[in-house]
Amino acid sequence: MTACLSLCGVSHEFEGVTALSDINLSVSQGECIALLGPSGAGKSTLLGLLDRRLKLGFGEAQVLNKSLSKDQRITRKDRSEVGFVFQEFALLDRLSVYQNVMNGRMGHTRRWPSLWGWFETQDHLIVARALADVGLSDFADRRADQLSGGQRQRVAIARCLAQEPRLILADEPVSNLDPSRAEKLLDLITSRAHEDGVTVIFSSHQPQLAQRFADRVIGLRDGKIMFDSPAAQLTQKDVTQLYDGFHPETDLRVVN
Amino acid sequence: MTRNLIWILIGGAVIWAGLSADISTDKLSSAAPRLADFLARMFPPDWSVWPEILKGLLETLRIAILGTFFSVILSAGLAVLASEKLFPHLVWRPVRAFLAMIRAIPLIVVAMLMVGSVGLGPLPGILAITFHATGMLAKFYAEAIDNVASAPVAALESAGASRAQQLRWGIWPQMAPVILRDTIFRFELNLRESLVLGIVGAGGIGLYVQTYVRSFQYDKAAAVTLAIVILVLISELVAVIVQRRFS
Repeated sequence: MTACLSLCGVSHEFEGVTALSDINLSVSQGECIALLGPSGAGKSTLLGLLDRRLKLGFGEAQVLNKSLSKDQRITRKDRSEVGFVFQEFALLDRLSVYQNVMNGRMGHTRRWPSLWGWFETQDHLIVARALADVGLSDFADRRADQLSGGQRQRVAIARCLAQEPRLILADEPVSNLDPSRAEKLLDLITSRAHEDGVTVIFSSHQPQLAQRFADRVIGLRDGKIMFDSPAAQLTQKDVTQLYDGFHPETDLRVVN
Repeated sequence: MTRNLIWILIGGAVIWAGLSADISTDKLSSAAPRLADFLARMFPPDWSVWPEILKGLLETLRIAILGTFFSVILSAGLAVLASEKLFPHLVWRPVRAFLAMIRAIPLIVVAMLMVGSVGLGPLPGILAITFHATGMLAKFYAEAIDNVASAPVAALESAGASRAQQLRWGIWPQMAPVILRDTIFRFELNLRESLVLGIVGAGGIGLYVQTYVRSFQYDKAAAVTLAIVILVLISELVAVIVQRRFS
């Protein structure tokens, strides 16, 4: 399988505080990976680095055959190939649901016409499909600030799907959704990995969902990789150690 | 302790002001009949001067429109320099201090200076309003820039949007309602403030108020005053409608 990304000795600091420490990781195209770990483990930092929003501090990294080093020029195309589902949704409240999802197409649209709101038929079709996929077709004309938290999260996911990236990074993409909706949407995101060969990396606090939807589960704690194992081989012991003891919400048997 | 001291200072200031101001009950008691006489002379308003009123009002409106227009253009440029997000404090602090200084100079003083330098008529009025309004508007615009949430813009950048696309679809939608609200608010203020410009010869309806009051034609002055009230009320109504539409 072709490599999607590789990290070698990657470390990252925020004002002297270590967020990631000596991370070595290699991911093949089309793999679906779940990142587990307590808050502050470095999950968001790792995803931010891969999305190139954070600058690489130490180590070497490649994403989709492009180095993440500081002097590497990042083009619109590079960015559009990596989609990101933000934990806080990052929607524009005054814009419609439709336009928020269309914003995910900006890396593909023609630059100047898009400034006047002129998008091509293909873009409209893709946005409509993304909205249908997350079950929000009827809300297309609604302003984003008129939606519930769960609906806003679905808009954020639709925006990422409309981007048609080769790598999807999702920072706790289903944390605000009820269990059945969460499963449906994770199924939708991860099916892109299995059907279209898109690489998916999502972070979560729910080991059951990670085990069920990912091929591979990586446990992060204090900026270090604690375990990296095929989802089927994830044990309760791994999870309990990762979260510093047993908690009902990290009980793998809930799904098993 | 500090709080008590503050109350004592406030109380002291009021008493000091009361003692030093020339307030005598005799003057107040004779005020009522004089006021009644004054009002009686104002009514009924003499609307025969409506051509002058209309001319004055339109000139005031023009001064307010052009003053607002030019101050919007100047403010847009200065606001960028005064933004904490876009420039280091070595730039934005002096710019903000400069804007505060502009705001501190009363409009009427600016107007007199302008009349002195470019002569009588609406031009000094437009210049004065432009100068005065820019001090406030540029500060408001800078705050609008600084209050833009960065996450939606980061999301656009992450999706591959160009700088122009980020500006159009990430920054502008957040700023537009604030800028519109501030601009309308400033236009309303400009309209009210430009009413007095005529008193110092800087054009507009103020000239007629001054002329009629000085020549004791209170019924005509009353007509002008009523016309001003109507104009201000209309502008407020328009502002409310526009803001409701774009909030």
